[in-house]
Amino acid sequence: MLDLLILLSRYLFVFYIGFFLWQGIVYIAYEQGGFLGSPYHAVSIQRRLIILMHITAFLILAYNRDTGIYDWKTVVFGGAGCIFLLAAIHFLDRFYYEGCPLIWTGMLFLMDLSLIMLQRIDAMLAYKQLLWMVLGLAGMLLLPFFFRLIPRFEVFEWAYIIVCYGLLLCTKIFGVERHGSTNWLSIGGLTFQPSELIKFLFIFYLASVFRKRVEWKEFIITGVLSAGVVMLLVLQKDLGSALIFFMTYMVMLYIATANEFLFLLGMGAASGAAAVAYKIFSHVRVRVAAWQNPWADIDRGGYQIVNSLFAITTWGLLGSGLTKGMPKSIPVVESDFIFAAICEEFGTVFGAGVICIFIMLLYRGVRIALDSKRRYYSILAIGVTTMLSFQAFIIIGGVIKLIPLTGVTLPFVSYGGTSVLVSLMMMGLLQWVCVYCEQNGVDEEAPPILGVEGGDTYE
Amino acid sequence: MNNMKRSIRRIFWLLVLCFFLLLGYIGKLVLVDRTTISTNSYNTRLRYVDHTIRRGDIVDIDGEVLATSVLQGDGTYAREYPRARMAAHITGYSSVGKTGVEAAENFQLLTLHNEFLQRIAAITTGKELVGNSVVVTVDMDIQTTAGNLLGNAKGAIVVMEPSTGRVLALQAYPDFDPNTVAANWETLKEDEKSPLVNRATQGLYPPGSTFKLISALAVMENAPNWQTRTYECTGEAEFENKVIHCYNNKAHGTVDLKQALTVSCNCYFAQTATELGAAKLKQIMERAGMEMPAGFDLAYSRNKIGLEAGSTESELVETAIGQGKTAVTPLYMAMLASAIANEGIMMEPYIVDHIQYSSGEAGKQTVPKKLTEIRTAEEAAVLRDMMVSVVENGTGSAAGVKGVTVAGKTGTAENATGKDHSWFVGFAPAEDPKIAVAVVIENSNAYGSATPIAGKVIQEALNQIENR
Repeated sequence: MLDLLILLSRYLFVFYIGFFLWQGIVYIAYEQGGFLGSPYHAVSIQRRLIILMHITAFLILAYNRDTGIYDWKTVVFGGAGCIFLLAAIHFLDRFYYEGCPLIWTGMLFLMDLSLIMLQRIDAMLAYKQLLWMVLGLAGMLLLPFFFRLIPRFEVFEWAYIIVCYGLLLCTKIFGVERHGSTNWLSIGGLTFQPSELIKFLFIFYLASVFRKRVEWKEFIITGVLSAGVVMLLVLQKDLGSALIFFMTYMVMLYIATANEFLFLLGMGAASGAAAVAYKIFSHVRVRVAAWQNPWADIDRGGYQIVNSLFAITTWGLLGSGLTKGMPKSIPVVESDFIFAAICEEFGTVFGAGVICIFIMLLYRGVRIALDSKRRYYSILAIGVTTMLSFQAFIIIGGVIKLIPLTGVTLPFVSYGGTSVLVSLMMMGLLQWVCVYCEQNGVDEEAPPILGVEGGDTYE
Repeated sequence: MNNMKRSIRRIFWLLVLCFFLLLGYIGKLVLVDRTTISTNSYNTRLRYVDHTIRRGDIVDIDGEVLATSVLQGDGTYAREYPRARMAAHITGYSSVGKTGVEAAENFQLLTLHNEFLQRIAAITTGKELVGNSVVVTVDMDIQTTAGNLLGNAKGAIVVMEPSTGRVLALQAYPDFDPNTVAANWETLKEDEKSPLVNRATQGLYPPGSTFKLISALAVMENAPNWQTRTYECTGEAEFENKVIHCYNNKAHGTVDLKQALTVSCNCYFAQTATELGAAKLKQIMERAGMEMPAGFDLAYSRNKIGLEAGSTESELVETAIGQGKTAVTPLYMAMLASAIANEGIMMEPYIVDHIQYSSGEAGKQTVPKKLTEIRTAEEAAVLRDMMVSVVENGTGSAAGVKGVTVAGKTGTAENATGKDHSWFVGFAPAEDPKIAVAVVIENSNAYGSATPIAGKVIQEALNQIENR
């Protein structure tokens, strides 16, 4: 009987995500002047879909096949997750009045998916993840108060980059190796990833510098400092983060200067640097070889990626059904490879839906950047949006073998305390820009020189 | 600030493009590459077990059941193999792990067609959940003939359809009874004769004189005057520090390529090989698909090429007559014979014809696939005529079948562990090949003992195909 229900639930999950995305379109259509339905209705349907998905999934997960009874622990945890989701919906609405509701629902959908998948893979991880999510949510809710206390945080540009370097160097010296990358710090038994924390600082730093006129001096200083950050990350074998930081820098520079030539030049330089890195670092070569032909070395180098491809392709469009697949055969499935696990059990159609949710988040983030009235906040918003979107792209691309695999987390979904915390805070920042920035004063900066023209306050 | 807005929009579209690439690629993975990827033998998902599902049957091309599941009193299923040893190396077993078709098609055997309806029927009427059946290309009549002919001689017989690569029969001895594998596991595992090893696909034997088919291809390719050149065979020839003898030191006199192949003259091929050089010969071996993965459904060994560009002359001459370190599987030799029969095109061998749903409908059908082109059709035809001459006037006369032109090549492979292995590879009818065979008999007493067996297999197989 349960097997039949699981079989049916595959269609249900595809319906959930499809209908969820459709409601997003309804909302956006209204905003653009079209009418497909009430936007308020759309958001409330989205919220209900998240709760429904949560309940459906936990009803399946809680059933113990061997004993034939419901596992109360899972039921309780499912209930706790449900309360968390409801609380998040409630409080986010309160604390970020008139923030973009689609960003909240999209984010919560992904977080719910994270709880479901982690409960499926390893209940212990799901508990911890929920704890981190609660912390992240609390931090997010406090963010507006924090920014109100320090109204002009853009003046601390040097502090940001110094802390950035401090953390990176600490990792280089005291770092612990995990999954082949030395990018973990351990303080009193608590391990965290500085590369996640500095994302925040890095964006702040760049936005703070770029808010002013971007002259050659700023360009060179930020260029050198960013290249330094990227280099340090490469040395820590954290190629994914290096790539994300590089792309974020390039995009923010491009936004600040509107200079295509510089952007293309940077891309060219990066290709050159990548070629050099390929020659110098054996771990880069290993990754590329595993990407080019993972089948040649299935037992070692290609093992992860090959297993991920098996997970994605074996069961087809609708997946095996929740609990029926074998996601645990993929190493580090709980963090880097969680997308493969989602594709395996929910199906690739659902997986494509997850990608569409990221597109939706990207669109909303860009919308905020475009609507923001101050240059500084615009750059901040685009920095945050680009970073998260690009991170999602390189890890999903790596998992499906579109690009070489670089171990980073899938924002909101992968297991990882620091990752969840930082991703949530970044979303908070984005929404803060959306809600609060208009209350702040007018910028004083002159237009950048590298760009054709520019300005501080526009429109 | 319109510049900035424009830049933001451009970045947005760039990232959207990235995400669309992801969507496109994931679509390609699951719609186009799905079968190729998911059927890889490393995929642990293919080995999952579900005891609530009645495993599908394995049946031969005429519908004869080779493996089936029977519901027992306690509600569990027992796997039965009605043909026991006769098809053991094809079905494999599904008890202490899985081998053979049981392993290769485990996923299909446990896949419920119309799962939805089956599950509803199971709940409402209590009907069993039945997995898909697998129909193999093997014809049990040919398989039985081959099995009886092989008898208790160690060795293997492979019968193949040259134009498609379908395996019509695949016998190997020693064998085992798949019904009792679990009960006899300890003895089977320890048995020195290694009955669980499928010699037809996993056994690696020196090819002996059957390798001269490849040597002949090398001569045709690299010696433009091969049709006119002759060689004076004295029964033995000396190279570097290796003396090559013809069988029984027989002096064959003046031979050309066709003669040399017909009488299997070692000295001729050793001599021509030294003129070609190791690099050229190795190149021809590679082109003949020796190093290629055969892509076969059952577990198989890869051939070994014991020749390098820098090999010594003695290694070279040994290789050219099928001795030395080169070793091949009977499956490969059947593929080689098929390729010569099939105008130089080597097909990928396969043993699963199609999937049959529990409702009786036919499902996914295997489509024959070209593996490689070993030589041009003209050269393959020349070689075919030479192989006809082998059976009509030469060492392979015992493989002759009345009323049919058989093409073939015999071989005797010396081996360090005991008596010579006897080989025969060939196909028939030569003018319109319907079947190709490879027979190897380990440590055979009589010279050429594989040859008469091959003849009988060819005769029986052709009869069966005609009666179809």
